[in-house]
Amino acid sequence: MKRWLLLLLVFVFSLAFYQPLFGQDEEEYPEEPIIFTKPVKAVIFDHKKHVEDAGLSCDDCHDELFEMAAGTAEENEDFNMESLYQGKYCGACHNGEMAFPANRKCTTCHIGVLGWQRLQQKSGEGESSSEGHH
Amino acid sequence: MDLKRFGEWLKSLKNEGVEHLPIEERRSFLKIGLKVTGVFAGGTILSVVSRAQEVFGAAPDYVDKYPYKPHYSMVIITDRCVDCQLCMDACVKTNHVPPYGWRTKIFERRLKVGPNEYARQFMPVLCNHCNIPPCVRVCPTKATFKDKKTGIVRMNPKKCIGCKTCMVACPYDMRYFNEERRAVDKCDFCWESRLSKGEKLTACAAACPAGVRNFGDLSDPNSKVYKLVHDPDRVVWVLRPETGARPNVFYTIDGLG
Repeated sequence: MKRWLLLLLVFVFSLAFYQPLFGQDEEEYPEEPIIFTKPVKAVIFDHKKHVEDAGLSCDDCHDELFEMAAGTAEENEDFNMESLYQGKYCGACHNGEMAFPANRKCTTCHIGVLGWQRLQQKSGEGESSSEGHH
Repeated sequence: MDLKRFGEWLKSLKNEGVEHLPIEERRSFLKIGLKVTGVFAGGTILSVVSRAQEVFGAAPDYVDKYPYKPHYSMVIITDRCVDCQLCMDACVKTNHVPPYGWRTKIFERRLKVGPNEYARQFMPVLCNHCNIPPCVRVCPTKATFKDKKTGIVRMNPKKCIGCKTCMVACPYDMRYFNEERRAVDKCDFCWESRLSKGEKLTACAAACPAGVRNFGDLSDPNSKVYKLVHDPDRVVWVLRPETGARPNVFYTIDGLG
């Protein structure tokens, strides 16, 4: 009888530990948006939007379209709009069928130098917790 | 019923006024760029006009009168701009613009495109090389002048006394005081640095990777700028037309959404 209870306890504990670990594996992604600065400044990629809103999972893009390590794609010669139009990188989905085509709505992803500076300012403000306007 | 008789019948109808048209209906028309101007036949017929002029400002009526040869002009396809600022970098390098100064800038607008939807739009601005330049009119020493051949608004820094009146007069805020030269500095369509040396494009136009800045001779019907400005399918506008300065920098969009 005692042995059964012990087994049951082990089973319950394993469930309790297994569940969150499993959940984390599936949904963990960088909270801060990825900012590409090459070949032009600056393009935003928000994991949250693509996972939560578009319902993509990690292996939809990793590692075939993008390596996990941020900044890897930027080192490639062919990381440019022309490649996107040929279905590489973002262009795999942003083709006008799965998502808006890469040759439309430029400023949705291209936040520019102004948008990039604003993000840097925001994160800087967050650290010093000052809310004053310049 | 043929079109002519239909038109006559339409004209005979009494405009019942737009007051009773539901606000939602008017808004849905506004969203697609049309303004309801009349209600006829108990609301079964609406008369609508394009709102484009109202949104973008009056289309320049001086288009097709080009007093200079070459008549230098820039047509900016503003929705192609992604604010990469390669144009600004090229300008700074080519024309030795100090960190506190500028010959061109990029502004950002947030356009409302739906109830809770916004779109970013970037808008490059540079000297508009106006046909009737307010800055030239106010300069007490003729240090800034309209080039009689090309229409470029240029500076003679030796004559500039630094009174900065031109900076106030410019409708586009495209002049700054250069501390090192002790003179006001501005965009000269790269006349000194490039065009006078045989180059065909300004540094900014050459550096743009997205085809935003189209530069050329507006008096040449084969030039890209002429074709863009005279394209009947395009809405072309200028900044601050109300000043009557007759700018030579035109804006349009490719409709990229």
